[in-house]
Amino acid sequence: MSSFIEVKNVSKSFKVSKRAKGIPGTIANLFVPKYEEKKAVKDISFAIEQGEMVGFIGPNGAGKSTTIKMLSGILYPDSGEITVNGYVPYKQRKDYVGSIGVVFGQKSQLQWDLPVIDSFELLKAIYRIPEKMYKKNLDRFMDMLDMWEFIDRPVRQLSLGQRMRADIVAALLHSPKIVFFDEPTIGVDVVGKEKIRSFIKKLNAEDKVSMIFTTHDMQDIEKTCNRLIIIDKGSKVYDGSIQNIKEKYGTTRQVEVEFDRNYDISPMKDIMKNVDIKELNEACGRKKQFIFENTEVQIDELMNYLLQNYGVKDINVSEPEIERIIGKIYSGEV
Amino acid sequence: MPYIAFGKKSFMLKSAYRFDHFMGILNTIVRIFIFWVIYKALYGSRTEVEGITMTMVTTNFILSIGLEAVFYVHDFYLPDKIGNGSIATELLLPVSIKGRMIAENLGNAFFKLLYHFVPALIVSVIIMGIEPPASVSMLILFIVSALLGYGVLWTISFVVQMSAFWLINVWSIVTIKNVFVNVLSGSMIPLWFMPDWMSGIVEFSPFSSIYFTPVQIYLGQLSSGQIAYKCLIQLIWIVIIYMIGNLLWAKGKKKLVVQGG
Repeated sequence: MSSFIEVKNVSKSFKVSKRAKGIPGTIANLFVPKYEEKKAVKDISFAIEQGEMVGFIGPNGAGKSTTIKMLSGILYPDSGEITVNGYVPYKQRKDYVGSIGVVFGQKSQLQWDLPVIDSFELLKAIYRIPEKMYKKNLDRFMDMLDMWEFIDRPVRQLSLGQRMRADIVAALLHSPKIVFFDEPTIGVDVVGKEKIRSFIKKLNAEDKVSMIFTTHDMQDIEKTCNRLIIIDKGSKVYDGSIQNIKEKYGTTRQVEVEFDRNYDISPMKDIMKNVDIKELNEACGRKKQFIFENTEVQIDELMNYLLQNYGVKDINVSEPEIERIIGKIYSGEV
Repeated sequence: MPYIAFGKKSFMLKSAYRFDHFMGILNTIVRIFIFWVIYKALYGSRTEVEGITMTMVTTNFILSIGLEAVFYVHDFYLPDKIGNGSIATELLLPVSIKGRMIAENLGNAFFKLLYHFVPALIVSVIIMGIEPPASVSMLILFIVSALLGYGVLWTISFVVQMSAFWLINVWSIVTIKNVFVNVLSGSMIPLWFMPDWMSGIVEFSPFSSIYFTPVQIYLGQLSSGQIAYKCLIQLIWIVIIYMIGNLLWAKGKKKLVVQGG
């Protein structure tokens, strides 16, 4: 049995016009245009099962959006195969897109000049949604996302958070089997983000909808997804659980200690060789930071040493944030 | 039916900007009036020139400029969507984009027919007068031929819009197209007054069949054989131009570049 979503060795490149600098370059380009081939996606493969919730991340220009656009039937891949739910998206676009929903954080699907509800009515006609199902979905989502107060307002008068919620509902009215979220919380405030995340989570749990998330907000991923696919420069660099990535790459620990007075702890450098010590200019130099790899230094050893030799007022141990790990992966450190 | 919903939506959107709408009507009346004044001055005291009376000229302008208002095709419909990347969201809907284009244009045209053409027609007829239709059957044939004319205009715009897949910016091509349509369709210079060698060519171009053929039918200038022949030419043009557009569409889809990430 093949998977629900299957991507096999997919590549896609774009032609980018390349011109020399300045006015002479521009003029030359008018007569003899030069193009450069830019490989957006290189030989990517992965499979996703029904009901899975996958974070699809990577730095700007890594090829995320291109992949999502191929998965949703907008772009043709140059080579490779994609099947989703038994369809080949780009070949059977019209039939296929009826079973998916897509939310683009930066592009609205709603009619700018019409009230939100009119846009929904239009979508009902476009997707040929049966009256009963439309009513049920609408009521449910409206309640969940708390949207009744602005349903009659034209889209151009909505705040970004309201518009985003409306856009999310717009993508779900036809009960799609797969939903693609392309930066669904971009520019939304903390409360709004939280609302959107918990809604998405609930929907995934209750309806078993498969979801693919692209975002630059790691909180989005941590709070909603259990699987992570990272791509960089068009290739897949990681595919696995979030827990796993933390265990594998998140070996750095950071201990912040507040001493009872300003000690000179330089002798410690000879004993604890693999610990990086930083003076923090806080609390009159009484606060110091210790950074180390937990594969090289045992945290209890360090603690014992500190407690036995100095007067300690406060200790704060922090685990690495997923953000920092991803940052390291992007910059090629790990 | 999604397509009916698209038509309804663009009909409703048209009524959202009322001031713009009233200015549109005024614009049509003023244009008809200007051409009327110019040709009145050219005619001077003569009642007819080469068998064409002043009322026939007036009729030509009222009908062709009036139809022009109804026949408005949004030339930048697809280019805009390709240019700003919103084509991506359009392609996510389970409908054919061509079908949607037609439906939205028709919704628009229907609105313009009721609320733009009719008032402009009434005002113009009161000020300038008009030749009555040659007969009831000619009036009906005029409507049929006008619909075919719309088909020709739409398919021309369709082809022009498809070039946006390659060019992104199609303003220049649209402008050139509009010059051809304006000059060769009779809505600026009645085709009666063109030199013979030129009208011979223009007659076979798709442009003259947009407005001038319906006007000729309305005035009863064509025999039934000629009417059948002219309508056939309209139909052939629709098929040919549509097929070209379709070919470009099939190729363009594959090389679509979504702008803006």
